[in-house]
Amino acid sequence: MALSFTRIFDNDWVGPGLVSLAAIIGISIFQPSFLSPFNIFVLLSAIAVNMVIALGQLVIIGIGQMNLALGAFGGLVAISFVAVMELYGVPPFVAVIIGFAIGTLAGGASGFVIARTGISAFIITLAGLQIFKGINLGITEAQPFYGVPQSVKDFGNLSMLGPIPWLVLPMLIASIGMWYLFTRLRIGRYILAIGGNRTAAELSGINVTATVIWAHAISGLLAATAGMMLVARLQIGQPTIGDDWLISSFAAPVIGGAVLAGGHVSVAGTFFGVVIIAIITQALVLFAIDPFVVQIVLGGLILWAVGINRLRELRVAKLNERA
Amino acid sequence: MKSVAKITAALLLGAVACSPALADPGTKVALVPGGPHPYFAAWEQAGKDAMKDFNLGAGDYRVPQKWELAQQSTLLESLLTQGYNSFLIFPGDAVGTNATVSEIVDNGGQAIATAGCLKDPTPALFCLGTDTGNSAYLGTKELIKAMGGKGRIAHFTGFLVDPNTQLRIDAVQKAADETNGDVTVVQVIADIDAPQPAEEKINAYLAAHAADVDGIVTTAWVPAVTAANSLRKIGDKRIKMVGIDHDEVVLQAIKDGFVNGTMLQNPYGQGYLGSYVLDKLRTGCTLKADAPWKSNALTAKFVDSGTVFVDAATADTYVDAMRGITKTLLANFEKDFMACK
Repeated sequence: MALSFTRIFDNDWVGPGLVSLAAIIGISIFQPSFLSPFNIFVLLSAIAVNMVIALGQLVIIGIGQMNLALGAFGGLVAISFVAVMELYGVPPFVAVIIGFAIGTLAGGASGFVIARTGISAFIITLAGLQIFKGINLGITEAQPFYGVPQSVKDFGNLSMLGPIPWLVLPMLIASIGMWYLFTRLRIGRYILAIGGNRTAAELSGINVTATVIWAHAISGLLAATAGMMLVARLQIGQPTIGDDWLISSFAAPVIGGAVLAGGHVSVAGTFFGVVIIAIITQALVLFAIDPFVVQIVLGGLILWAVGINRLRELRVAKLNERA
Repeated sequence: MKSVAKITAALLLGAVACSPALADPGTKVALVPGGPHPYFAAWEQAGKDAMKDFNLGAGDYRVPQKWELAQQSTLLESLLTQGYNSFLIFPGDAVGTNATVSEIVDNGGQAIATAGCLKDPTPALFCLGTDTGNSAYLGTKELIKAMGGKGRIAHFTGFLVDPNTQLRIDAVQKAADETNGDVTVVQVIADIDAPQPAEEKINAYLAAHAADVDGIVTTAWVPAVTAANSLRKIGDKRIKMVGIDHDEVVLQAIKDGFVNGTMLQNPYGQGYLGSYVLDKLRTGCTLKADAPWKSNALTAKFVDSGTVFVDAATADTYVDAMRGITKTLLANFEKDFMACK
């Protein structure tokens, strides 16, 4: 009995999943409109974008590094995506390909410098943050691009089925893709092996340089996806897209059980981490929390969610010992 | 003979430097916002125009990469070392930016707090900006009028670190209080002058409470754009809205009937007039102590750069209205606020 309990609760996603469920039930009791179709649509739209952002950081956490330039990649792709459509009349499909290319190249270049120079990813991505944000401001001069085609606007604002927005589609593709990468593909296992013990991975014949470049290129691709999703959602190419991604991109994977030192990540756990943050953010609005204490309450609730997961881990460890 | 020539040259240079009529190409103006934001885009053209019209040495718009006090301070210090001597600064922090302005003044520079004020005592010459409290108050009054004098208002506003935010919150509340309970401010959502949080929070609010509010007043650029889009999306013309600034999305929503109006500010006028004044003050003019300064919660030396309500009838001609305000300010500023030899 104890063993099966341990097996179920051994999964990283169980803690955040239970917290999410409790939050949904609790808020619905006090605010029945929380489960209205429009609110579900709004919530899923936020979750979809934030999940792709979190996955972009997750792959770098997996390798034991951090990507401070994630938001700068996303912002640059977002404005480039709209700019090529507005200024050069490029069709949306081609603009998406260009966006993917910019994100992947930016991430890959960042990974190349990290892998080749051996300089800390923190430093390189910090420099990348400045460079890519600077390019963004150079292009836009802090002015938004407005020329978003109707088809792109529709993708970000229409529902696929009932209250489920189209934006959920890229999130599903990215999530399944990342789960497949970490569990079924060699590159995913290499990423986790390097994150777990870089020296051991190197000695066992893993090409660390190539793997680091791949991880950062994937991160850039995911940032690009999130940037373009936000353009669709906001219906505007705002130069400030990506500025506020950093904290939540780390918070969701960590709530979901990822080890910041690398080697262990959970796609499902990250999903529930994103759900928790989205629900907390929305609850603060629904319950009219004073704007001057919102940050304190948000920080406290995130700490509480992480604490619940930590308690679960300790409990599982104890049960394992007993078994 | 040589010394006579030197003295003559010195006297001539001195006369030119002291003459209020002649602008000084040595006046190098930097226009520095708190961070990247579309509101300040008009400063760039204003700086260029002022440079050309007043023969300044520079009228350059320089943007910190992020809304962080440290980044803005570093940029200002860097510009000072590059030879800029006159600054129009949107304070990254109402108190914190005073330290950097002191540094500028100690090194022979001068600064005007622009579009947002510094808290007194301040080494800034004065504050030139929208009377944000008054703008929010007038906007809320317009909203209340559109709501028929009663109902429930939600207020969406900007960064909490922006010195103007608290003034706006208080002003909206004041306008509601004057209705003796007929109008109530049911919610203030702040810190959403960035696209993603604005989108998430405003939509979440409308999803849950659209039926519970009769009016929306927005007192920051991005929330105004997002709220206009949201009202269009849910197709709700019952909820009245008064926005702020002149984003295309807001102006189009006014024309289409989803938004009732917007409170325009005058960023171009701030940049243009501010550059002109800085040059005048470098070339012999001084500020009058008994000038008709206004005061607000932060400073006793405030000059209103103008605000105007634009609705569907005036949405196509708002540029003329702002030009008129700038022209009037420029025509009267020297007479009212400066003493020039």
